Amino acid sequence: MTSKYKKIFSAAWMMGALLGCLLCPGTLRTGHAAFGEDIEKPKPEFTREGDRVTARYIPRAKSTSVQVHFTVSGGKLIDVRGLDFYLADRPEVDVKNFKSALFTVEIGDVSPGGEAVVTISSDFFTSSTQYYVFNEKLASPWMVSECENISLPNRVQDLVIKVKDGGPYDSDGKADGRIFFVGGPRDSFWGYALGTLFIRFFGIFLVLTILQVCMQLSGRIFQKMDAKKSQKSMQSKSGPSESAPIPQAIGSDDESQTLDAGSVAAVSAALHLYFSGSQAPERMNINASESTGWLQHGRQMAMGAHPLNARRSR
Amino acid sequence: MSWSHVLELIQSILITQTGIPNLAVNQVIMILIGLFFLYLAIAKEYEPLLLVPIGFGIFIVNFPLTPLMGFTEHGNPELIRVFYKYGVEWEVIPCVIFLGLGAMTDFGPLIANPKTLIIGAGAQLGVFVTYLGVLFFGFTLKEAASVGIIGGADGPTTIYLTAKLAPHLLGANALAAYSYMAMVPLIQPPIMRLMTTPEQRRIRMRQLRYVSQLEKLLFPLIGCALIVLLIPAVAPLMGMFMFGNLMRECGVVKRLSDTAQNALMNIVTIFLGLSVGATMQADVFLTWKPLLIFAFGLVDFVICTFGGILTVHIMNMFLKDKINPLIGSAGVSAVPMAARVAHAEGLKADPDNWLIMHAMSPNLAGVIGSAAAAGMFIAMFQ
Repeated sequence: MTSKYKKIFSAAWMMGALLGCLLCPGTLRTGHAAFGEDIEKPKPEFTREGDRVTARYIPRAKSTSVQVHFTVSGGKLIDVRGLDFYLADRPEVDVKNFKSALFTVEIGDVSPGGEAVVTISSDFFTSSTQYYVFNEKLASPWMVSECENISLPNRVQDLVIKVKDGGPYDSDGKADGRIFFVGGPRDSFWGYALGTLFIRFFGIFLVLTILQVCMQLSGRIFQKMDAKKSQKSMQSKSGPSESAPIPQAIGSDDESQTLDAGSVAAVSAALHLYFSGSQAPERMNINASESTGWLQHGRQMAMGAHPLNARRSR
Repeated sequence: MSWSHVLELIQSILITQTGIPNLAVNQVIMILIGLFFLYLAIAKEYEPLLLVPIGFGIFIVNFPLTPLMGFTEHGNPELIRVFYKYGVEWEVIPCVIFLGLGAMTDFGPLIANPKTLIIGAGAQLGVFVTYLGVLFFGFTLKEAASVGIIGGADGPTTIYLTAKLAPHLLGANALAAYSYMAMVPLIQPPIMRLMTTPEQRRIRMRQLRYVSQLEKLLFPLIGCALIVLLIPAVAPLMGMFMFGNLMRECGVVKRLSDTAQNALMNIVTIFLGLSVGATMQADVFLTWKPLLIFAFGLVDFVICTFGGILTVHIMNMFLKDKINPLIGSAGVSAVPMAARVAHAEGLKADPDNWLIMHAMSPNLAGVIGSAAAAGMFIAMFQ
């Protein structure tokens, strides 16, 4: 490497390091706000089928849409709406942990001060998904709900939460027969990021190792096939009387190590004679047209000076 | 018509129909960046096949009022937007490039020495370290994955993954990937020397075995079936790659193979370069993110090289026939530049030690490894 390239390389290194140092302290906790727009913000669309409301949206860190179903017992499900996260943003919560949207579930026909059971189900949830509830009237607005996470067939998880009219999960705070239940499913962002990192990195090793093993196996088969083919062709050329055993594994360590030096030398000499015999050099034509006049003259002089030729000339 | 009317008309024409009064400072900066990459490509010959169209794309699209990357009043895409929409957004061009790459590739060295596939996996270390690193800087998971793949040193894979996961970062990622690929001879040797002793650099490897034509012919079928079974998400890239290779090895479609290697590859390269360059408009590009991407791209390359060499060191603990650790650096794909660099470094240590064919093997493994990493990321977000 020339000194010029060394300089370029060290400059690039220094720039990278400098940039890293400058940006590191200021941006470690900046989250999505560091670059302005929240580009992954879920935008749920709601449909209603009888007493069930379904939200369909593309969650954070996903490319395909998911469905979340809301049902209520002990009251009437009036409506489910999406809620923008910035309205509930507090320092103690990180939007990245809320891969789904936030929802406001409005429930009516509850006996005043009574209890309704909200069931939120989706195959997007995992057994570790929690449901966080937001109530800005409380001293600490965000809280983890006492939620029952039930695993159902087809990887569906049900989050079942009991909400009391006028209780801490009811945002209007009044025991008036109506419940406003605000919150959203929460999964650990860093847990997912780190977990998937290890799984996928070792996944690549796994995939390539499987490919390697298959290639090694198929390679052995092909090597044996080639060795057999070459053995057959040598046998057919040398005839039945010269059918001396030829080492099968050209390129195979294990078997070549079992041969003694004498056999190896004999096989090598036989192979050499066989191949050199089939590739005899062309006869030299001293009258070839490409020969220069000077070369022709030299050759004729040399032949003429031969004692046999000299005798014939006499 | 009075003079005031004429002046008003001229003023109106100047403002609405010419670019000069609309030229902003950030656009001038982007035009200069475009010219800088053109200089690198033409004067320094850094990946000229890609950087010339990319550089020109940046250059032309940043002039004001140019009808190139927008949509007409009727909603039809403008010229370069057409290339971008149907080529990149629809994920066609990267796959077609993989078809051409497959048709160009001789898998013989990899088939002869399949152990090196592990090096190709180890050299993806940087992809995952960078993925984690950029998350600390507020990138989303999808953005982090698209930045991480830069270290795989595979341009089409980077473009394919970025177009799928974070299209707004396409220009920066592609530019970083191709720039650092061009700088492999500058980036890798210091790391190679740092991670190896002179004795290790002099290790001579056993000559590769002969690979029959039948073996080469069956490899794309077996390899494709296995990889696609394990990572279905990578089927578009790997399928095209192996199809190109099958056309090459079967020997009965020489015209198709020749077209895939030359004419088709050249055509799509032009459209890809222009489209990628044209995504780098001033208002999108001049933010902190592209700068961070360039910084992390370099770190990514360094860690990938480190990972490849480290993998060889680990493998050598268990192998009877030692592998020269210099070829570990070729585990980043960058075909064939990384293999050449490994060979050149080997010659410096021992002028009679020819490593090029041995280095081609992890180099090809790197192509498969980076495509597998991309497939893993795509699957993660499905």
